[in-house]
Amino acid sequence: MGRAEYKVEGGKLVKAQVIIDGNIIRKVKITGDFFLHPEELIEELEEALVGSLLDESNLAKLIRGVIEKKNAILLGASPEDFAKCIVMAGNMDG
Amino acid sequence: MVEEWRLLDTGLHDAFYNMALDEAIVIARSKKLVPNTLRFFRWEPSAVSIGYFQSMEEEVDIETCKRIGVDYVRRRTGGGAVYHERDGELTYSVIINEDHPLISRDFQKTYEKLCSWLVRGLSFLGVPAEFKPINDIIVAGKKISGNAQTRGMNVVHQHGTILREVNPAVMFSVLKVPSEKIRGKMIKAAEERVTSINKFLQRDVSFEELKKALIKGFEESFDIKLVLGEITDFEKDMAVKLKEEKYSTREWNFKR
Repeated sequence: MGRAEYKVEGGKLVKAQVIIDGNIIRKVKITGDFFLHPEELIEELEEALVGSLLDESNLAKLIRGVIEKKNAILLGASPEDFAKCIVMAGNMDG
Repeated sequence: MVEEWRLLDTGLHDAFYNMALDEAIVIARSKKLVPNTLRFFRWEPSAVSIGYFQSMEEEVDIETCKRIGVDYVRRRTGGGAVYHERDGELTYSVIINEDHPLISRDFQKTYEKLCSWLVRGLSFLGVPAEFKPINDIIVAGKKISGNAQTRGMNVVHQHGTILREVNPAVMFSVLKVPSEKIRGKMIKAAEERVTSINKFLQRDVSFEELKKALIKGFEESFDIKLVLGEITDFEKDMAVKLKEEKYSTREWNFKR
């Protein structure tokens, strides 16, 4: 498992734990002191990323899609920040 | 006629009950069983709360907490880990229907609005506080209050801390630090970044004096009269249930 932390400038701290298989995400956990409304969406978001390519712009698009579809609000970090941290963590796996 | 809200002062409780009672009030409000509410509370024993999205193992030094008798609990709100010291901190909750004029669709604007009464209340004590986005209140550049908000069931719930006293050394014994080597450095950094009412004013402000100033700040900021009330039986029973089934469970507290 790979871990990474990313402090968003003017925002919050995002942490990720990622397991990859080749270049594919097998498991991801996103933690940190950001705000996401509704809160329960985080688990759904993590699920949605399983099976996707460990690629920053691809992940950012996926995350933004889930958030917009659910009319959710992310505060203190952006989908791009999440994606960046996940890729950093993924690169630490193995 | 001036708008009236319920004021609760629930005193000292453990972390699990405190967080359970917050949620119980939210549920009661959503069922229209109770009016909009401002609640003051404190923590006994002292406790660490972590944000909804944080990992308990990553943020909290469980062994130290157990050794010195500090509870640890996950909040229903996001944000960061907070050390709530029994005699150092006053905590508040605002529970309000979502279609109230104080609430904006914009979360950032709502934070600023729901922090404005604290800023005003602190000014009555001679503390020139200001709101700092996203969710902090600072004085002379140092943090004195942290706040966290969530919405659901057509209710907005914001809770937050006001530091009367601060002890970074204890704070960093219960919170995880990246390594022992930098613990001292982090304590020093916290001393420079965080302040308290007593430290800023160089005098001892009692909880009673603090609450009085904050109540005045609330009433004047929002043109709302606070009427001291009690929790209902519904809230009491729901809080006991939520403590038992949610906030005191390993399943909830270690879920991330």
